[in-house]
Amino acid sequence: MKPSDKKNMRESEDILRKMLTETREIPVDHVPYAFEKRIMAHIEAAPQVAVNLWQQWSQALWRTAVPCLAVMILVAVLARPEATGPQPQPAPSAPLTAQTQSIDEELEAIVMLAIETPALDR
Amino acid sequence: MNSATDALWVSVVFFVGSPVEPVNNSAVAEPTDKELIAEVLNGHTASFEPLVVKYQPRIFALARRYARRENEVEDIAQTVFLKAFSKLSSYKGTAPFEHWLMRTATYTCYDFLRKHQRNREWNATDLSDEENDWFENLGEESQAHTDREAARALVDKLLDELKPEDRHIIILLELERKSIKEIADLTGLSESNVKVKAHRAREKMRKSINRLNPEKYL
Repeated sequence: MKPSDKKNMRESEDILRKMLTETREIPVDHVPYAFEKRIMAHIEAAPQVAVNLWQQWSQALWRTAVPCLAVMILVAVLARPEATGPQPQPAPSAPLTAQTQSIDEELEAIVMLAIETPALDR
Repeated sequence: MNSATDALWVSVVFFVGSPVEPVNNSAVAEPTDKELIAEVLNGHTASFEPLVVKYQPRIFALARRYARRENEVEDIAQTVFLKAFSKLSSYKGTAPFEHWLMRTATYTCYDFLRKHQRNREWNATDLSDEENDWFENLGEESQAHTDREAARALVDKLLDELKPEDRHIIILLELERKSIKEIADLTGLSESNVKVKAHRAREKMRKSINRLNPEKYL
């Protein structure tokens, strides 16, 4: 190896590159014996792991959403005629009754006056 | 003459069919990943085993980049497969299953790094004989197994000094040979951010080399 090459190799970047290259070349994909059996044993021993809780939760939500929606629509339909139908309107009718009452009283007073007037004449 | 032969050949192929007919061996073909996944989702959990057998070498290879001890590597691989099994219903099938699984594996490995953050600073006195020999034999073409193991141990020491995120990026970039775009996608960082972090991490590793090997060769 030439001295110049050796000098280049001494550069930390080259050293790092060489380290990384040699590390990459090491075969690292060996698998312990019957590892898949161990995984399957875990899966079978704990079936609850397989259950997707979020999926169950969302399914339950959807299931409950349908009756909730139905109840909401039913309540809305039942409440609608009461809200929009002919309503007794006490507020405008109250002064009207009072007015008619006062007219009646005036009329009564006039009638009474008319009845009493001949007696006075006498 | 040639054109006549070609014309004859074309007509033969047209009327008779291609001389090399594809062999229809669907009866003996192994089920695809999607078929196996569908079976697992339908409650046939045993169909998950062929998927484990097929992909476990890739998962172990990745896990060994992140963990040193074999029991830690096995724990990572086990976590990856159990996680994949429990989240299998979230696999949409738009990308290959291997990509989805490797993404899960990468996240699991990064979680491991964060939980086992070492941040240890090594000195020249911490080097083993093999690691010192590796520095001494620099420039020689020896590809002995012990040399490569020493190189790996040295890389592990350099990686120990990095923050988990930087270590994650360097492993993906330098050891797993992922592109910047893929790393950005896996880490959620922007591509420029990945480049900056990788550059800084490499710089730190170079400084560590200078410290580990201060006078002898630099």
